[in-house]
Parts: sequence; C-alpha cells; structure tokens
Amino acid sequence: MTWTCEHIEARLSDYLDGLLSPDERHAFDMHANSCENCAQMVASISQLVGGLHSMAQMETPPRLVYSILNQTLGPREAKKGWQSSFGWLRGLSSVRFAYYGVSVAATLLILLTASGISLRKPKLADLSPANVYRHVDSQAHLAYAHTTKFFSDLRVVYEIQSRLNKDNELPTTPESTVPQPAPGKSPGSTDGTRPATPRQQNRANGLGRELEILATEVPVVSGQWCGQLLGRRIP
Amino acid sequence: MAPCNFWGRLVTVAGFEADDTLEQDAQLVQQCLQGDGSAWEELVRRHTRRIFNICYRFTGNGTEAEDLSQDVFLRVYKTLGSYRSAHGGFATWMTSVTRNLLIDHYRRTKRDRITDSLEDAMPVVENKESAGRRPDQQLLLGELSSQVQTALTKLSPELREAVILRDLQQLDYNEIRQVLDVPEGTVKSRINRGRIELARILQQMGVRPS
Repeated sequence: MTWTCEHIEARLSDYLDGLLSPDERHAFDMHANSCENCAQMVASISQLVGGLHSMAQMETPPRLVYSILNQTLGPREAKKGWQSSFGWLRGLSSVRFAYYGVSVAATLLILLTASGISLRKPKLADLSPANVYRHVDSQAHLAYAHTTKFFSDLRVVYEIQSRLNKDNELPTTPESTVPQPAPGKSPGSTDGTRPATPRQQNRANGLGRELEILATEVPVVSGQWCGQLLGRRIP
Repeated sequence: MAPCNFWGRLVTVAGFEADDTLEQDAQLVQQCLQGDGSAWEELVRRHTRRIFNICYRFTGNGTEAEDLSQDVFLRVYKTLGSYRSAHGGFATWMTSVTRNLLIDHYRRTKRDRITDSLEDAMPVVENKESAGRRPDQQLLLGELSSQVQTALTKLSPELREAVILRDLQQLDYNEIRQVLDVPEGTVKSRINRGRIELARILQQMGVRPS
C-alpha cells in the first residue's frame, strides 16, 4: 500500500511515538523521503515534540503547599464523630505546652519536698494533714532560722570589715610624735614595755568605767574578777 | 528518518517506577481515609508540582494555576473516599479531577476571553530576532518555553489538554484515555492534531523549524 500525504499527517504521532508496525513504518518512510512537504512537517513536529519533552517543569510556589494544607487540614476542628474527641490532643505537642508542663512539675516537686513526702519511700502516713502541717511548720521555721542567721552573719562580717577599714584609714604617726604617757599611770599599758595609743587609752578608760558601774551594782558577783581585772583601781 | 525509539524505552522505565509510586500512593490514601493528617500532607507534597504544572500549562497564568491547584486538592480531599484503586492509579484519578476543573474553569471564563480572542485576531507581529532561529537554538536561549506556552493557550481545550498530558506530563495513551474518558482512538487523534496545530501556531509566531 502506498501512503499519501493524508496518511502521513494522520499517523504522524504514531510514527513519532513508535506505535507503527514495521510495514507501516516502511511505507511512512518511503513517502516522507520522497515528499518535501511531508518531510518538512515530520521534521518540524519531531523537533517540537523533542522540545516539549525537554521543557523543564515549573517550580511550585513555596506558599502553595502550605495554602493547600491550611485549607484542608486547617479546619480539622470541624470534624465530627470520634475524631473530634481527640482533636485537643494535637495541642499537647506544642513547645508552649511542654514549657507549662515542666513548670507545673517543678512546682509540684517543690511542694512535695516541702510537705515532707518522700518520693523514694512514699508512705500513706505522710499524706495525713497533721503530718503535712508539722513538716511544713518545721520546714518554715528552719528556713526562717537559716535566713535570720544568714543576715546576722552578714551584719557581723560587714561590721568587722568596716572597723578594719577604719583602722586602715588612720594616719600613721611617727614614734616621736606619739605622746608619751606618764610611766605607771597608763591604763592601757599592762606590761609597761609599749606605750598605748590615745585610741587604746580611750577604749580602756571606757571599759574601766563600765566595769566600775557593774561592780558597784553587783558587788558580790563581779567584785572579785573585776578586781582581778582592774587591779588596784577597784577600791 | 528514525522514529523516537527512546520514547518507548522511556515509557517502559517510567512504568516500572510508576509501580512503586502507585503502591505508595495507595497506602497513603488508605492512611488518609483513616484520619492520618501526615499521610495527606505527604500526598500533597508528592503531587503539588505536577498538578500546578498541568494548571499552568493549560491556563498560562501563574496566579490562576495556583488557585486552580488549591481547588483541585480541596476537591480531592473531599472526595477521597470515592477513589477506587482498582480503577486506576491515584495520580491518574487526580489528573482526571484536575482536567475536569480546568474544563469547568475554561467554560466559566469563556466570556472573559472574548476580548483576548479579538486581540488574537490581530496580525501577529513577528519577532525579527527570533524569526531566523531554529527551535533547538530557541530552546538553548530559553525562549521556546514561553513561546510554546503562548502557543498552547491558543489551542482548543481538547487539543491543549491532550498535548499537555502526552508531551509535557508524559502520560501514556491508556492513562490519557482514563483521564479524558474518551476512546483511545480519540486520544491519538487529539494528540496528533494538537501537535500539528501547535507547530502551525508556532510557525505563525515566527518560530520556524529549519
């Protein structure tokens, strides 16, 4: 059978897609090789199909997938039946819920520790209100005592530090300018080998006055050791 | 003149790959029907690009293609229960849904295109720079894609969808028959006429094969 131009045009895609039988392909080639118009058409369509096959696919807009998911999975709260009963569970997987969960767990742990409930050896008696109250009360007092002691220690340390600073701030005076007390009459001197400073003398005088008052008020108790302390100054 | 023998091999290789894809799609659909949201997300990610490309090649407009792609997935999501794997692959079924929506969209916007048709009736100003080049040179310069896209929108919707499915989406005749729901002889005829018409339009636009 000899093919015409109409045959070529009608079976062109079958030829390009390899769907012709060997006899049909031979007849197709015979006509296409002898007809300039058909040869040009076959070449043109062949190049077009090759170009279409090599055309790259368009990139999907990034927002498209999210838009589709929002429109489809977004209104999942509207689901009915048993699925709607478990819809709230999806919110539990959020970071915010994890943060809240950790906070609540830490608070519970603190409360349990404060109420005296042992997590390693839990006992039923630990849950009785009297035991819980007693433990909380003792823990509160203990905490109060620790706090008070802490501030008291802090005050002592501060006072010692401030006194040391005051001592360091005193000007150093040469030995010759220090006023020499009269021998045997210095209240701050105990062995007579080193003269006392005016500051030491003042402090010693003040202490002596207080001890004199104490000895006057309580002569029986304090008279003996006050006399030993002050020596000949106690009458 | 040698026919495109590689095409047959390509279809065969694609067929083997399609078996895995069909199986995975069928599993994902089953999981979706059981309420698995992540399976639906996977289906969307697997098919979005293909559906968007069909819509874009048919309409020639990125925004319209995006809207139509969303409509396709919405319809698929709502009618997923009606899909039967025994009747064909999920991709083919989805392409069929896409095709129906595209035809609906074409009919709905037909009135809007009257102005465009009048403009199309005006003589095409030939691009002097591209007039003398061969199609392979045009391809190298990246111009053929846009010119083919323009030419595709001038085809009738029946021929356009056949060419898109065959030459751009590279479906085989049987898949196209399922998507278009027409006899295989009609599919072959539309593809053949579509290619010849497309070449004629490109020639009018100044893209002449040597």
